[in-house]
Amino acid sequence: MNHAKKAEIFNKDEAKVNWHDKALWYVREKRDNSAHKVQGWEYLRELGSAIKANVLSNLDEYLIQFETNAQKNGIKVHWASNAEEHNNIINSILEKHNAKKVVKSKSMLTEECHLNPFLEKKGIEVIDTDLGERIVQLAKEPPSHIVLPAIHKKKEEVDVLFQEHLGTKPSQGNPEYLVSEARKHLRNKFLNADVAITGVNFAPADTGGVVVCTNEGNADMGVHLAKVHIACMGIEKIIPKEKHLGVFLRLLARSATGQPITTYSSHFNKPDEGKEMHIVIVDNGRTEQLGREDFRASLHCIRCGACMNTCPIYRRSGGHSYDYAIPGPIGSILSPGKDLKKHSSLPFASTLCGSCSNVCPVKINIHEQLYKWRQVIVKEQKQPIVKKSVLKIAGVVLSKPKLYGFAGKSARFVLKHAPRFMIYNKLNAWGKARDLPEVKNENFDEWYKKRNKNG
Amino acid sequence: MNGTKKEIKMGREAILQSIKKNKPEALPMPIIDESAFYEDIDLLNAFKSNIALVGGTIKEIDVAQIDNELKTIYPKANHIVSATSKSTLGTIPFSKETDPHLFKDIDLAIVEGEIGVSENGAVWVSNTNSLVRALPFITNDLVIILNKSKICIHMLHAYDLIKDRDRDFGVFISGPSKTADIEQCLVVGAHGAMSLTVLLI
Repeated sequence: MNHAKKAEIFNKDEAKVNWHDKALWYVREKRDNSAHKVQGWEYLRELGSAIKANVLSNLDEYLIQFETNAQKNGIKVHWASNAEEHNNIINSILEKHNAKKVVKSKSMLTEECHLNPFLEKKGIEVIDTDLGERIVQLAKEPPSHIVLPAIHKKKEEVDVLFQEHLGTKPSQGNPEYLVSEARKHLRNKFLNADVAITGVNFAPADTGGVVVCTNEGNADMGVHLAKVHIACMGIEKIIPKEKHLGVFLRLLARSATGQPITTYSSHFNKPDEGKEMHIVIVDNGRTEQLGREDFRASLHCIRCGACMNTCPIYRRSGGHSYDYAIPGPIGSILSPGKDLKKHSSLPFASTLCGSCSNVCPVKINIHEQLYKWRQVIVKEQKQPIVKKSVLKIAGVVLSKPKLYGFAGKSARFVLKHAPRFMIYNKLNAWGKARDLPEVKNENFDEWYKKRNKNG
Repeated sequence: MNGTKKEIKMGREAILQSIKKNKPEALPMPIIDESAFYEDIDLLNAFKSNIALVGGTIKEIDVAQIDNELKTIYPKANHIVSATSKSTLGTIPFSKETDPHLFKDIDLAIVEGEIGVSENGAVWVSNTNSLVRALPFITNDLVIILNKSKICIHMLHAYDLIKDRDRDFGVFISGPSKTADIEQCLVVGAHGAMSLTVLLI
């Protein structure tokens, strides 16, 4: 099912769509307020972008440096070319420790690799410990946003889910009560876990450690109580120096939620005494994307979600309509590189308004890449016959000014005088659920000339 | 096990080869001009207002008054772990070998912070300060004692100040744990500490 069809499903509940739209726009506004308070914000974004560009141009060297430093500190480093290797490596670590209970903090990479179902099939309990992720896990759904995984759920729905799975009392969706119950439920999981899995926000090559950012403290509760910590990272999480965290930590939370920094920015450099720490470095299509000049910069992404919060399409179609681990504008430029056919509708899920590029903390030219993917897709994928013929006719009309003038006149005449059913039907997507603007007698060209004469 | 090892090695070589083949021409590492971020502000006041912004409480206090102050703020705290010599309120003896699971019911943890960051109200706490890594997270309420001469302007400066540390574990803590995962309603007290008090000395 393509994006438009899935978006249609999401749009069946109009009140919910309106809420979703406003809630995310509010987060975007918080981002603006927070960013405007920082002296040199635009320069900070430029630095973020330039550091990431430097990383990509020297990624192999940085990865080797990172590995060497991590090993010096007693961390075990693993490399996985794809999702399957990643999952097998994690399973072998769990087997070695006879681990049956795993707590996991947010990691979009493990979503991308479908780690949970893989481990669950082997009889391992995997608990997502970020509250939003736990909610969608209980609902047997994927996250719909990378920072706000359960943004598509109303509090009453969470109430029902918790009643069913955690045995809570009906509370009409009281957030304080539901969070306190989740705290108890997950605390028990933290205390009994064998292994903690986390994602990685940043991995400085010069120290060989990893930095994980959370607001809830779930990554730390997991890691410091379990005897083994496994941190999973895509190759692009590398930054050259620890000092560069001073750039990225200033950008990340402000862009994500408008907070000046996340509650916890945890620096894991060495395993605790008597414990083990593993880092799994994953490619899974990233080196291929690195080779695509037009799309390379998509690997700058620091997963703040700002492009989703600002996107008029995302806000009104919901994260699930993208059907990819990373939804929204950034997901729409990452996913075609993974599977062009499967994700071919995503670069079209955009108005190309450019708002995503404007808020991106590492200045990825997202809307330009969306446009470039469209060109690739139109060349490589079979297009619907209606679209093809309409575009062909449009090409002819637009190349001939006289014909264009005539076509415009006729269209205005028809729109004014034709019966309603001829204009508002299945063929006219622009007339769905709304009326077209009032039709004027003249086109812009004619209006402009007349205006000049009069003025 | 041999099979696994071989596979891991293949992953590494394959990834590095693929990067070599696909990476662009070398691009320079930018030099950071920190003067672009300079602001003539009162660091202490900015730090205080940012702690409040992120949901924490902050108080300036004399070292001798710490215990009295904490007794007033947390009258019901019984199980207290103090990782600092600046407070004698600790009721649970512990060392760095203590199993963190034993802390599951503690009411209050008192630790020292090393530096504060005025732009975001974050305080750097390393496991030299907390001895047990889980302590600042597993406690119900957290108190961080910080010397007010240790407040810096922003994160770039903060990383200069901690660059020579012994790197094992350390964390910037900005406020109490929180979540907005249910309908974007901010709820303080997720999995980490339910409240944070910073005592400036």
